[in-house]
Amino acid sequence: MTQPFIELNNVQKIFKQNKTENTVLQDINLKIPEGQFVCLLGPSGCGKSTILNLLAGFEKPTLGDIYVDGQPISAPGIDRAVVFQQAQLFPWLTVKENIQFPLKQSKAESKYITEQTEYYLEKTGLKKFENHRIWQISGGMKQRVALARAWVMKPKILLMDEPFGALDAQTRILMQETLTQLWQDNKTTVLFVTHDIDESLLLADRIILMAGHPGRIAEDIQVNLRRARTIENIAPQQEFIETKKHILEIMRKEVSRMIDYIH
Amino acid sequence: MIQLNPFKVKVISTLSLITFVIIWQLVCTFKLVSPILLPSPLQILDTVLDLFKNGYRDAPFYQHILVSTARAFFAFFVAILIGVPLGLLMGRSPVFNAILDPFVQFLRPIPKIALIPLVVVWLGIGEESKFFLIFIATFLSVIVGATAASQNVPYGLIQAAQTMGLGKTAILFRVILPSSLPEIFTTIRLSIGIGWTSLIAAEMVAATSGLGWMIINAGSYLRTDVVIVGIILLGTIGFILDWLIVKAQQKWAPWTGKA
Repeated sequence: MTQPFIELNNVQKIFKQNKTENTVLQDINLKIPEGQFVCLLGPSGCGKSTILNLLAGFEKPTLGDIYVDGQPISAPGIDRAVVFQQAQLFPWLTVKENIQFPLKQSKAESKYITEQTEYYLEKTGLKKFENHRIWQISGGMKQRVALARAWVMKPKILLMDEPFGALDAQTRILMQETLTQLWQDNKTTVLFVTHDIDESLLLADRIILMAGHPGRIAEDIQVNLRRARTIENIAPQQEFIETKKHILEIMRKEVSRMIDYIH
Repeated sequence: MIQLNPFKVKVISTLSLITFVIIWQLVCTFKLVSPILLPSPLQILDTVLDLFKNGYRDAPFYQHILVSTARAFFAFFVAILIGVPLGLLMGRSPVFNAILDPFVQFLRPIPKIALIPLVVVWLGIGEESKFFLIFIATFLSVIVGATAASQNVPYGLIQAAQTMGLGKTAILFRVILPSSLPEIFTTIRLSIGIGWTSLIAAEMVAATSGLGWMIINAGSYLRTDVVIVGIILLGTIGFILDWLIVKAQQKWAPWTGKA
């Protein structure tokens, strides 16, 4: 078997607050091959965003090792792009300038910058708004800019932390389609955090179902639904129904365990 | 609350000012107050014309205005140039902040007039001491505001910049500085207000010209008309300065309050 592209070995993360210790992640072992679209699915507090932050290099594991493409992770880097729940764009720049920002930072050739910017402006449907300022566009469009800005860097992996969580249902469907198209064109390895079961089944090749207290992997689920998927054509399929039922059953078990835990 | 359009606001403010001046004139015309205590608006207009024609105490009128604004502008400029980066750095570096903050917090509440004797002993009675008094008042206030501004930069923006390969210095100048601009402009407005008020303190130090000096000097000769002209000018210049900064904020930080 070839070496996995992303590897987490016995990763543990403990947050210390005053004198209490909180084990956010315990014994996380995860291997992801290149080009896979993986959803981290679970309730809030299960540590799924922490895995993303560790991979991004924003935080360091208490124990264990993390490798991306054979390299240990210790700090943020341009090989790992992040799309946040809030778009985190620069309000002093226009839509176009925001997308160009990482390329200009890496001192790319101006011809390449123009070419790439145009490509992603087209792909994300932002061409008409390229000269708008960030505060003049809607939440959905902001998230499109964030997508373009992440993808334009040609990262090895793309880390997405509930990027569509704050959007309305219609906008979310549009964004999921844009994301799927971009992913099919580029085959970037994606780690996508969500608590929405339907969203994970629509997007992922593989779902890592997580449980909380302490945060750990409950189940590793392959999704074999045929692409290109839309929510209306996968919803009636047997695999969709069964996988969703299976996930809900595991979540149900976790909920009753949680109730015991709290009381 | 009722909403007023900007035009109506201007009309009402102008009418309010005109009414005030008319009442003032009437009070003087009917001799309700002695002209020594309160010269009438018409008398003040005469004084202004006279000052423009003959100057005040050997120096032309425009020179008093220019000297004061030049002193203040230079001090503002240096205070902003040093204070903004220093404040941003203090806001982002706990060590740096721990070193400098005690001095800033100790010096800031001291009325700057109290520093005059020391400043004169240390810097003499020339332009240096006048510059220093306006500078220090503005500078301390700029630092406090810039520190707070840089601490309010959303953490996500800094994380985003890190994933785009920006180092610490690049993040300070290309993310924290532009992101703090709206607050920095507000800070500059407040600081210049404070700096402008310390102009009088500065011109109490052996000056021979300047608006602050003119006011103090005219007071000792009971020239209340000149005093009032000086006060009106100080207020007007301060108002214009503030307006210029608001315009600069709209131009360079147009997302203020929107993002």
